[in-house]
Amino acid sequence: MPIIEVNHLTKEYQLGHISSIKDTALNTLRRLTFRPTQQREAFKALDDINFHIEEGEVVGIIGHNGAGKSTLLKHLAHITKPTKGKVIVRGSVAPLIEVGAGVNPELTGRENIFLNGAILGIPKKIIKSKLDEIIEFSELEKFIDTPVKRYSSGMAVKLGFSIATSVDADILIVDEVLAVGDLAFQRKCFDRMEDLIKRQGKTVLLVSHNIRQVERMCNRVMLLNKGEIIQDGDSHATCDQFYQLSNKTISDQKKNSSARVISSGEVQNIKVDILDDNDQPTDSITEGGTLKIRVQFGLNKALINPEFHIGTHTTDFIYLTGESTAVLGQSQNYPSGSHEIQHHIPTYPLVPGTYGIRVAVIDQSGRVLYHGESLLFFNVLAKSKDTPLQDELRLIAVPVEWKLKDNNQKKNHI
Amino acid sequence: MLSFAKNLYTYRELIAALAWKNIVVRYKQAYLGILWAVLKPVMLMLIFTLVRSFVGIETGEVPYPILTFAALLPWIFFQESASEGINSVTSNSSLIKKIYFPREVFPLTAMVTKLVELAISFLILAGLMVYYKMMPTVFSLWVPAIILYTMIVALTISFFGAALNVYYRDVAQALPVALSLLMYGSPVIYPLSLVHQKLIIEQAAGIWSHDLYTLYTLNPMTGIIDSFQNVLLKGIPPDFDTLYPGAILTLAILPFSYLFFKRAENWFADVI
Repeated sequence: MPIIEVNHLTKEYQLGHISSIKDTALNTLRRLTFRPTQQREAFKALDDINFHIEEGEVVGIIGHNGAGKSTLLKHLAHITKPTKGKVIVRGSVAPLIEVGAGVNPELTGRENIFLNGAILGIPKKIIKSKLDEIIEFSELEKFIDTPVKRYSSGMAVKLGFSIATSVDADILIVDEVLAVGDLAFQRKCFDRMEDLIKRQGKTVLLVSHNIRQVERMCNRVMLLNKGEIIQDGDSHATCDQFYQLSNKTISDQKKNSSARVISSGEVQNIKVDILDDNDQPTDSITEGGTLKIRVQFGLNKALINPEFHIGTHTTDFIYLTGESTAVLGQSQNYPSGSHEIQHHIPTYPLVPGTYGIRVAVIDQSGRVLYHGESLLFFNVLAKSKDTPLQDELRLIAVPVEWKLKDNNQKKNHI
Repeated sequence: MLSFAKNLYTYRELIAALAWKNIVVRYKQAYLGILWAVLKPVMLMLIFTLVRSFVGIETGEVPYPILTFAALLPWIFFQESASEGINSVTSNSSLIKKIYFPREVFPLTAMVTKLVELAISFLILAGLMVYYKMMPTVFSLWVPAIILYTMIVALTISFFGAALNVYYRDVAQALPVALSLLMYGSPVIYPLSLVHQKLIIEQAAGIWSHDLYTLYTLNPMTGIIDSFQNVLLKGIPPDFDTLYPGAILTLAILPFSYLFFKRAENWFADVI
């Protein structure tokens, strides 16, 4: 029997402010006299969701902001009730939804451990026996008898996480809590979560925007979009689809917003494409594949010996590659009219993800005629489903050669 | 109602922890600490005693200060637990949005918090009784039952008010006003014997006198305060004639109040 069963779950919220007493009274009157009531616009946060989760499964839930992830978790944690449909949960639920919801700033760390323990439903006896372990995990031995209001925000979150993960429940619901504290503590949280998942065999639902983390920890991922499950299954495939979806959203946003472009007006109608092996425009390449960037542009006056600079960057504008034609030392003239240049990277070394393209045109005297970032976004897709899940441990993928103990040379391209 | 009792037992640790938090947080940085809890009844007692020296209120053989203090004890407990109870759901919105447990825990916690403050006030009452050389009688054993009844009355108001307050914050504004008016409709400043004297014996309101008296005793606090004074100060059993109209009214409303709360509970997290 599945431990979680969700059948035709629909959740509607009414848009706008809560109705005034006058409207409520009028609507009640209308209802009593069997006349139609005045309805406000409804918003479907979840739309006919169906899934089953078996005991011991580790399920990730991903999707954009507002896709319905947290609403779904709230239903599983009984915090809110569905408008339509049914949610059956067979077992105790420990919601780690935003750890530290119950942390009170006036109380000391130790007092908060007891308070939060009670809120999470941990019996006092068990908290007492686990007290030392919790304090040790939180790394707050020195400050445990200081009121939490004197803590730094990181310390408060550490405390919250330490308490929350000591819950003993059948189902753990985790909403964006792994991104707490400094790097060392994050590592510890990871290990604690993996311990809960792997060794204790708990059913875990994990919501995160850190897709790599989800891909790594979960054996099944659900992708939510606008209140619907658009994919449910293998974590790798689902995460891949999410990357594509993200890319689409980012490029949609780009169309609407002004691109980050500086232009003197001499270079016009810049169009950037990436090309597949048949030189057809595409939106993604495979990890370790060739990246062909084609830039088409128009000139309204002739350019003598310009410098072209083409590079890629992450969605948060970390410049990754960037090469200039200046190093070629060639002198070339471009008459006014339209032109096309191409920029090939035989092995694009970045791990799966979404990246942007930037282009700059500089004239021979060093004046920047054009500089544009995020002109196009493209995806790097994972090579295959069984690629080792280690994306959060690296940024670039390079060919390596292993020399192992028995002198058998083994080549492993990751 | 059965599930309510079960929840009460299951979540007793949570209620205790939350009530403890309320008290600790409220008095943590105050030098006098929880002693502040008795400030209100003591001040009111002093003011009423002062006023009474001008207007003259007949109290029989019991000294006025202790009589009015014994009235203020259950009254303030009732008033504050009802007000806190009504605010208890909205003031815990962060918890309501994050985690589930039966929401009646919040009004109950408000009540338990006030119970602790009531216990402190009892020490003052004991001090007054020593001062006036009054010995508690065997009828003092009624006190827990009277307090329990007061809690039920406060809960009846809290459940309905707390649920409604989630939707309309007017409730939390209006209720303190209504309750402070109700104080004048309860035998706090004056003893019940005075009302009884006027309406039943002197028939001051003509043919309406008896009905008016019944209306007066429909207020559960009338019976509670009178019984409280009876068992502690006068050493006589509670007067059930004064108790039952209010008790019937309370028990008639309580199930509806609770059901209303449980129904509204499903949408707390969405609306709050």
